[in-house]
Amino acid sequence: MSENILKELCNRVLNLFKQTETKEENAKDVACNRLRVVLMQDRTNLTPELLQRMRSELIELLSKYVEMDKDALELNLDQEDGQMALMLSIPVIRAKDEEEIEKALAAEKQSKQESDDSTDDEENDSEEGEEEEISEETEEEIEITEESEEDEQHQEENFENSNNENQEYNG
Amino acid sequence: MTGRVIVITSGKGGVGKTTTNANIGTALARAGNKVVMIDTDLGLRNLDLLLGLENRIVYTIVDVVEKRCKLKQALVKDKKNPNLCLLAAAQTRDKSAITEEQLKDICEKLKKDFDFILVDCPAGIEQGFQNAIAGASEAIVVTTPEMSAVRDADRIIGLLEAKEEIKSYKLLLNRVRPNLIKTNDMMSVDDVVEILSADLIGIIPEDTGIITSTNKGEPIVNDEKSLAGIAYNNVAHRIMGEDVPFLNLEEETSVIAKVKKFFSNLIGKEK
Repeated sequence: MSENILKELCNRVLNLFKQTETKEENAKDVACNRLRVVLMQDRTNLTPELLQRMRSELIELLSKYVEMDKDALELNLDQEDGQMALMLSIPVIRAKDEEEIEKALAAEKQSKQESDDSTDDEENDSEEGEEEEISEETEEEIEITEESEEDEQHQEENFENSNNENQEYNG
Repeated sequence: MTGRVIVITSGKGGVGKTTTNANIGTALARAGNKVVMIDTDLGLRNLDLLLGLENRIVYTIVDVVEKRCKLKQALVKDKKNPNLCLLAAAQTRDKSAITEEQLKDICEKLKKDFDFILVDCPAGIEQGFQNAIAGASEAIVVTTPEMSAVRDADRIIGLLEAKEEIKSYKLLLNRVRPNLIKTNDMMSVDDVVEILSADLIGIIPEDTGIITSTNKGEPIVNDEKSLAGIAYNNVAHRIMGEDVPFLNLEEETSVIAKVKKFFSNLIGKEK
């Protein structure tokens, strides 16, 4: 009996200590998190502005395939076992059906062709304009093609291209 | 004899580079190695003070470079340990008084007569830093569990990795305060090691004895009771290739932690 009372007392005292220790966010965690972010930037020269740009381009790309919560999309640099990783978390609302995807891809293919025709010599300079064209034309009605695989490659290339261009543009 | 040239660097000032240099050098010499320490902090020399040798300096590294004396003449022997020497920095000159090539040359010459050449690097990442790392093949990066020191250490590690001649670098975490780590007010050793992803060679607890030892010009490794002294001594033995376990600093905790531990032990069987 008396042993139980003692145990109860001990538990209470222990809880008191625990409460003082588990503050919402302690100084150590704040320091670690701030450091991680600042070191990622130091190491990669990837500014928040560039990350933002990458983010919006990824949204544009992924929107062709899935409907997602754009505001909740997270793009962060992270470190695992000494290896840097770009972590992308995409809250998917629903996957788009084939028809919608084909439509978006076709639209992009067409706009790519058009921009290729018109801006063969001055790719770098026209990059901003190109982006606008793409977003305008995806909203239009365009006929569906069957060459989805080819299109995907095409669209990947396009993404890579515009990424490279962006780097050059900013660098 | 081919000595090992180890540069002790940090990026940020005031984290304990010179203290580390003086203590590791003394500990290595106490263990029977022939050790020379080179102070490359031209214009802001302090290693002589920490070793209590400030009154014995006749020639400096700049005198050697400008051929006013021979290299051996400029080496100041330690008061206690004949195995330990100091090549002092010039106090009246700036970092441009020596070049990377000249420092490399001095290190090469010293390698023949010494087991260890410890190069004390100035703070910063400018020419003084480049000079200091020029002759080295190993590095010890000193940092403390503070954000600014860790950030600067990361920068230094980046620069060391880019330098081909540096074959390995190790992290020394200085001024660790177990009490603050226990209450989650300070980054832990694991946190810093994880963030910097570097190998650890030593954990040195904050110790007020460092202040008195500096005042006396007597490295703290000579005090066998001091925890920081023991920790530095362990670092020296790890450098020599021995497998020395890290000190358990957790024993030195606050009263609250001790009371808590007492109660946890009391009801430990319940869980």
